Amino acid sequence: MNQAPLSGSPLLELQALNCRFGGLRALDRVSLAVKSGEIFGLIGPNGAGKTTLFNLISGLTAASGGRILWRGQPISGLRPDRIARLGLARTFQNLRLFASMSALENVLVGLHGRGRTPLVAGLLGTAAFRRRQRELEAQAFNLLELLELAPLAQQSAGSLSYGNQRRLEIARALATGPRLLLLDEPAAGLNPAEKSELSALIRLLRQRFDLTVLIIEHHVPLMMDLCDRLAVLNFGERIALGTPELVRRDPAVIEAYLGGAVEEAS
Amino acid sequence: MPLDASLLVQMLLGALLGLSVYLPLRAGQLSLATPGFYAIGGYTAALLSTRFPALAGDGALYPLPSLLLELVLAALIAGALALAIGGPVLKLKGIYLAIATIALVEILRVLNLNLGFTGGATGLFAIPQPFEGPVGYLLLSLAVLALVCWLCARLERLRLGRAMEAIREDELAAACMGLDTARVKLLSFLFSALVAAVAGVISAHFLNTWNARQGSFDASITTLAFVVFGGSRTWLGPVVGGLALTALPELLRPVGDLRLVVYGLVILLGPILFPQGLITPELLRRLRWPFRQTSAEAPAP
Amino acid sequence: MDHLLQLLVNGLSSGAVYALFALGYTLVFSVLGVINFAHGAVFTLGAYFTYLLIGGAVGANGLLAGLQLPFTLPFPLALLLAGVGAAAVSLLVEAAAFRPLRRRGADPLLALISSLGAGVILVNLLQLLVGAESYAIPTSALGTLPAAVSLGGAQVRTVQLLLMAIAALVVVVLTLWLERSRGGKALQAVAEDPTTARLLGINSDRMVQLAFGVSGFLAGVAGGLVGLSVSIAGPYFGIGYGLKGLGVLVLGGLGSVPGAVLGGLIVGLAEALVPADYSGFKDAVAYAFLFAVLLLRPRGLLGRPTITKV
Ligand SMILES: Nc1ncnc2c1ncn2[C@@H]1O[C@H](COP(=O)(O)OP(=O)(O)OP(=O)(O)O)[C@@H](O)[C@H]1O
Ligand SMILES: [Mg+2]
Repeated sequence: MNQAPLSGSPLLELQALNCRFGGLRALDRVSLAVKSGEIFGLIGPNGAGKTTLFNLISGLTAASGGRILWRGQPISGLRPDRIARLGLARTFQNLRLFASMSALENVLVGLHGRGRTPLVAGLLGTAAFRRRQRELEAQAFNLLELLELAPLAQQSAGSLSYGNQRRLEIARALATGPRLLLLDEPAAGLNPAEKSELSALIRLLRQRFDLTVLIIEHHVPLMMDLCDRLAVLNFGERIALGTPELVRRDPAVIEAYLGGAVEEAS
Repeated sequence: MPLDASLLVQMLLGALLGLSVYLPLRAGQLSLATPGFYAIGGYTAALLSTRFPALAGDGALYPLPSLLLELVLAALIAGALALAIGGPVLKLKGIYLAIATIALVEILRVLNLNLGFTGGATGLFAIPQPFEGPVGYLLLSLAVLALVCWLCARLERLRLGRAMEAIREDELAAACMGLDTARVKLLSFLFSALVAAVAGVISAHFLNTWNARQGSFDASITTLAFVVFGGSRTWLGPVVGGLALTALPELLRPVGDLRLVVYGLVILLGPILFPQGLITPELLRRLRWPFRQTSAEAPAP
Repeated sequence: MDHLLQLLVNGLSSGAVYALFALGYTLVFSVLGVINFAHGAVFTLGAYFTYLLIGGAVGANGLLAGLQLPFTLPFPLALLLAGVGAAAVSLLVEAAAFRPLRRRGADPLLALISSLGAGVILVNLLQLLVGAESYAIPTSALGTLPAAVSLGGAQVRTVQLLLMAIAALVVVVLTLWLERSRGGKALQAVAEDPTTARLLGINSDRMVQLAFGVSGFLAGVAGGLVGLSVSIAGPYFGIGYGLKGLGVLVLGGLGSVPGAVLGGLIVGLAEALVPADYSGFKDAVAYAFLFAVLLLRPRGLLGRPTITKV
């Protein structure tokens, strides 16, 4: 599980991914490779296919063509839970927390895979089981603390503020023990102060958990600052790829952003 | 007095059936297959006890070990069926699952009505009695209900119970957190089948006769009403719903001919007045009910 | 050959009843996303209304024992009025069991239960009023029409022809109405997307009432015709049909008008083709079909997959 990827071979590789919804080409032969340890950004106008790309990677939507390789192995066609257990965790653009469960319970669901105990031991509440349970709760609590949600641990997820829900989504995803964290617009709806805190947080998480991060975000300055590399999608096509400096000067990107009327951050 | 004990037995069995509907619903699955598994339990008991003299023993009363054997066999049969059909059926969502499980109940009913060995429309008679009177049944059903309640209460604190709740809240997000949703749903369906089959075994002896009417579409909906009425977010809800709604038609006897109309009125108004059901986790917390303290409500470390 | 033709006619005419039933469910389902469990009771009421309106007398057992309307209507008019009466009851059901929950945006599951309650009330009130005995609508209600006609060697009862003709008519009119008229289009708009429809100024409450009214009317007419065809077997007689209609509905695909018709015909024909020796198993045919189809096509034969955007 924790073996380092072969030197040079990417952690996640997308090869000519296609996705069609009826007549709409949501993704058109998109290829890119995410290296272990980097923060990789995905930008593009609304409807460009960014979330669709996440859905393909996490197994929610079937690709119409192309391949997804995880540490060199194809994972297309696997169920979402299998993919998650391989070490890919995600957050959702339109927050999908377990709303009536507490913040702590949300994180505990993320920890599900690590809490394996015999059912009988659980039913009888043996000492070993209780110890394991306390450990898990402590772990969950630590994650909440890291994301500054500890005081809200017992509140129901649905009652948290928008910014807190966004961070709880990250905590829950981290709980699954991922190698790759997929963040879908984690800064949406946050105020400028929260946005700059988020950058620092993502760097901290990468370092602390030895993570690779694939992040979608509209706020271009934040992305230029945060990401090691960026890919730009427009109408389902990858129109640019490279370091922030390179992408910033790419004529196709400038065209897409100036041509596209809907861009809040430019 | 004997009449009251009989009613109590029926109420306890109603509570068990409520729990059987509740278990899959807790994982977000609206399965109405409970009466089908209940019927399987009943037929297993009726057939074994009337067709196999060896099981009946020589005494006046049906031996308890034979009853235990019936319980085990019924659970095995119902469990096997649940595992066999659960895989494909639980891929269906929402109302499609509900209707598919109703279809299952109806198919079983028609088979039971027409197959020779189930006694056809008249069913099976003279099912031997393991107890002298209703009090024995009362104790047995009480013990079974207590056991199932205890299991449900424990389940709510376990990893599996939390997984069920997560699937109910958002199945897709739960899968993305690595939960094997298909397996969790199948387990909840299996538990539901086991509880219903056990209730069926007790019920067959208690009623002394068994026929295809015992597991019908009406029963599907009535048992669902137990859960919606009592509340579907903690195990106590379906228990209260099952007890209350089973007793209601009897308690309404003084109303005479109007009683089923009033019963309908209660079912109509229940969801409107108590959309969460009578019993909710919030209510229990306010009343400091000791049994549902999920781990997450314990003081933080 | 004659025999086969006979079976075909029998199958098509009972399929027509199932289709009428499923159409009623589907109308309500497509606007509200809920199944109306009182639909079978509304159908039953339609049958009793028809019986009373053609001059039938209430038996000796209910509170209304011996009641007979002071007038006698010809069957077509009675059927039409019964449909209107059933529509009115259906609207009542909507107001009592659905509207309070809709206002609150409650879980559709709740409406399923409360509509069941409404159905229980209707059926038991009916039993209280007219007793549990069965009533027959005499074929003489058809007046000068012959009770049966011979068609290519098969004896086809006039009622069966009527059922098929009316079902066909209903499907055509309903489809035209949904596709062409303002009201029908508005109804579809609400079904597709209630929020947008509201922004377009469509009163969704009115559309819901429309759906309940039309579906109640269809159920009432179907009830009257079935009453004429096989007699009214007591206040509970709609429940079996209601359940089978539900199976047909899901078989065809929820919310699909052609699906409801297709499902009805498939089940009707399949039931008719069950050999006489196994007629006891007939009732399982619809459900076996349904079960098999759902496993292969989780949205029914003609149902559209719902799009869930993540
Ligand atoms: N399940 C689906 N069925 C049909 N069309 C879809 C589906 N999911 C997405 N689409 C369409 O695919 C296109 C890409 O959508 P996507 O959500 O991936 O965009 P995005 O880049 O994430 O945009 P945004 O910045 O607004 O989140 C859009 O036109 C969208 O309407
Ligand atoms: Mg998006």
